[in-house]
Amino acid sequence: MILKRLSSILLAIWLPICLVVAWWFGSADSTDPFFPPLSVIWETFLALWVFELVPVHVVPSLTNLFTGLSVGVVIGLSLGVFIGTNERVAKYVEPTIDFIRSIPGVATIPIFILLFGLDPIMRISAISFASIFPTMLAAIQGMHQTNATIIDTARVFRLSKADTIFRVRIPAAGPIIASGIQVSLQVAFVVTIASELLGSGFGLGAFTLIATDSFMITDAWTGVILMGILGFSINFFFDLVERRILRWYLISKKIA
Amino acid sequence: MFGFLLIWQAATTFGPLVGGSLPTALQAVLSLGDILAEPDTWEAIGKTVYMALTGLFISICLAIPVGVLIGLSSAAFKSSKLVFDFFKVIPPIVIIPIVILVLGPTAEMGIFLVVFATFFMLAAQAAYGVRDTDPVLLDTMKCYGLGKFAQIIYARIPGALPFIAIGIRISVAASMIVAVVAGLIGGAPSLGREMLLYQSSGQPSKTFATVLVFGLLGLAFARSWAFLQRKLIFWTAA
Repeated sequence: MILKRLSSILLAIWLPICLVVAWWFGSADSTDPFFPPLSVIWETFLALWVFELVPVHVVPSLTNLFTGLSVGVVIGLSLGVFIGTNERVAKYVEPTIDFIRSIPGVATIPIFILLFGLDPIMRISAISFASIFPTMLAAIQGMHQTNATIIDTARVFRLSKADTIFRVRIPAAGPIIASGIQVSLQVAFVVTIASELLGSGFGLGAFTLIATDSFMITDAWTGVILMGILGFSINFFFDLVERRILRWYLISKKIA
Repeated sequence: MFGFLLIWQAATTFGPLVGGSLPTALQAVLSLGDILAEPDTWEAIGKTVYMALTGLFISICLAIPVGVLIGLSSAAFKSSKLVFDFFKVIPPIVIIPIVILVLGPTAEMGIFLVVFATFFMLAAQAAYGVRDTDPVLLDTMKCYGLGKFAQIIYARIPGALPFIAIGIRISVAASMIVAVVAGLIGGAPSLGREMLLYQSSGQPSKTFATVLVFGLLGLAFARSWAFLQRKLIFWTAA
């Protein structure tokens, strides 16, 4: 049993390890200015990001990200539940939503720059705007897909309309809404970085941009790697939290 | 839709946003006409579509064979899962600074980003699809003495197509977004770069009009794939 688990873990991790090792030795004698040796990148990474520059560049990025995301998710969820439970409203607004959500979130940043200048408010509002749509669409879909039997049961028990929505339909749509919020999170991350790449004094995106502009390639690589790690970890933690909150759903699925 | 435009117009002419830098709905729609009358805009649209479609094409050609091969072997699937999961969630915007350095602000840079953005997700979808083939179907084929190769061609790949179709649908949307971003942030010749020029030269209504063009372009991409999908994989209802 233990041996079996061990071998499955080994099977999962050998390739990533080999890739890193290959990069390490493959780049060891690299003189190409664009691809410095991984050992040099690693040393620079430790010098810069453990933890010298974290308060300057990482903390503001993450603060903007989560402020914007929370605002966007709250708006998206309320609008989505409202639209999803009102058939008539849905019919009127769906073409407009369809159009607006086809606009890439990053492409709205210049508009927010026009409105607010290069201010944190600009970043936060661009992040929230972009993260509204995935959550909202998921909530609309979730409301539309509520099992008819569940709604009928709620009616038989004479639950009020508000109770039906808040205690029956929203929890029932939990898994769909959660995946919508996850997409919102990914979009929010992209918009955060993009807003910094389009002009800012601080933030990971700005750091990397300044490094490339001043031809400090190793620094730029550390920025790219850190952004990659951040992007991966926020997704990973979201999965953990989601699994915890939706445990009832996963268990009920297993039983069924 | 009209109601939305009216609210926008009202908000910018007498409402809370009057005198701000937000153009009125009328101005934006008029500018939309303006920029659509310029040949430069059409050239930029063409280049955006070119980057998106070329990248998408390369990505599909590479990712589906790779994904199918990985999906056929359980060991290969388990070994590569972490790598694919890692690159699947990393947004392409993260690598833009390095890619600009190496490839410069060119169309190739945009194409590379589109491939990077879509390859891992498409390959993973193809691998999942192949692994999801109905085992009863495979056993039936084995009973009729059909070889491994026939199983792959007639059962596993057609079985994986719905999964691949979902992957392509997401990739189609992503390819357009990435092509726009490549222009906006990477300076690749495309509509994204035009937009940044409008913004930095203080032409708010044209900036806004470009955003409207993005919306139309995104809709066009999504609708064309929905149409193609109905024609190509007509046997699945989705």
